[in-house]
Amino acid sequence: MISLQHVTKVYRNGTTALDDVSVEVEKGEFVFIVGASGSGKSTFIRLLLKEEDATKGDIYVAGKNLAKLTAWKIPHLRRNIGTVFQDFKLLQDKTVFENCAFALEVIGKPKSVIDQRVPEILELVGLGDKLNNFPDELSGGEQQRVSIARACVNRPLVLLADEPTGNLDPSTSVEIMRLLDKVNRIGTTVVMATHDQAIVDAMRRRVIELDGGRVVRDQARGVYS
Amino acid sequence: MARFEYFFREITSGLRRNGLVAFAAISTTFIALLLFGLALLISRQVNLMIEATTGNVEVAVYLTDPVNPDTVRSLTDTLNELPVVDDVDFESKAQACERFRELFASQRALVENVDCDALPASLRVKLDDPERYAQVEAVLKGQPGIDRIVDQSAFLDRLFSVTRVFRVGVLLVSFVMLASAAILIANTVRMGLFARRKEIGIMKLVGATNWRIRIPFLIEGVFESLIGAAAAILFLFGLKVAFINPLYDQIQFVPWIINRDVVAVIPWLLVAGVAVALLAGLVGMRRFLDV
Repeated sequence: MISLQHVTKVYRNGTTALDDVSVEVEKGEFVFIVGASGSGKSTFIRLLLKEEDATKGDIYVAGKNLAKLTAWKIPHLRRNIGTVFQDFKLLQDKTVFENCAFALEVIGKPKSVIDQRVPEILELVGLGDKLNNFPDELSGGEQQRVSIARACVNRPLVLLADEPTGNLDPSTSVEIMRLLDKVNRIGTTVVMATHDQAIVDAMRRRVIELDGGRVVRDQARGVYS
Repeated sequence: MARFEYFFREITSGLRRNGLVAFAAISTTFIALLLFGLALLISRQVNLMIEATTGNVEVAVYLTDPVNPDTVRSLTDTLNELPVVDDVDFESKAQACERFRELFASQRALVENVDCDALPASLRVKLDDPERYAQVEAVLKGQPGIDRIVDQSAFLDRLFSVTRVFRVGVLLVSFVMLASAAILIANTVRMGLFARRKEIGIMKLVGATNWRIRIPFLIEGVFESLIGAAAAILFLFGLKVAFINPLYDQIQFVPWIINRDVVAVIPWLLVAGVAVALLAGLVGMRRFLDV
């Protein structure tokens, strides 16, 4: 599903964010990317979204070679990838329903599909009764559920999560992880960058550790360190 | 349907959000298009007057009544043999009458009271070199069937040079105004993009195509300019009613522009407005939406 082959990323200011990284992620896997700040976790995520291009090496996502993807096809790549971030990235002037619907609207899905899928996915993340609330009326954990719902409403093949529990307290984090686990169990490949040690240790999933842009550990059913 | 709702919502919320800048863009477009329309109408008015006085020809050869077709033919041939003559056209009494009616469409009383029989038939001559009018006069002198020969080239030249300055001046000002309108529209588009950069970031993340993101902003710019164009059109009609209509009765024997002339200007204003807005929009969002 995701394949990086000898990928190096050097930013224009000379910083080497990733250095000869090779990683294979199979369909349906759940992978943690761990490492200290500046170890290259975020660059890893950004490369998969083609927000940045690799300096060297090949990246394949959902069968597509990202280096050969023309600019106007990037949106179609991103429709196959759901994204969840630490800061939720919700639109404050839209309700929970509208935030999820937005993801379908901007890719041109008809209203009938929106009216069917949005309540369905919000029910799945446990917010079936908060469709008409605004983000600032929700707790952090609930807001992150909305953003997960938005990421999944288009049924993506891959879910990328960049520090999804970074702003949440431990018990809320556990709920979010249960939800991501649920998303993973219905067949979505999940890649999650984090430095939340407790969560990684509790989940016992594959762990890829980055340090200074290099993969220093790739362990099935691993722990944080 | 969902798509139209989506675009409509984006546009109206955009207009509400940066109302002041939008207003500036609309009013500048209004002034620019008003001047543009004025320049076009002034040209039209000048052309009408020129046609009324000269019939748009350099040399008019008025023929005596009744017109003999043989005379017409021989005169035409004689003229065509001259190297200096570019073109010779015969205008019958009926055609002269028709032209008169069109010219003075604004003054029905005039049209109804003039007996068409009073208008003479003529040969309308275009010259390669108006300076050599003397040749025409020499060749026609003494020929039968000619009432009189009128050389209008000198008068036309003077008229054109005076009106050209005026027309070019108004057009220049209107172009400057159109350019400022374009800059203001580009600015509203840019401000709109900036105010909504978070939303746009999310749109890109969920896989919206660039055009999906751009089109509402472009339409917003076009919408603003169309409002300006509509105001300019109304204003032009107002000016025409206020200043030209009273002249219909006061100054007779001068053809004035009529409503149809103002209507004929509308497409030009709309095209100019839309073109400027699209151009401005595209420039405004350049380098702003790289994926």
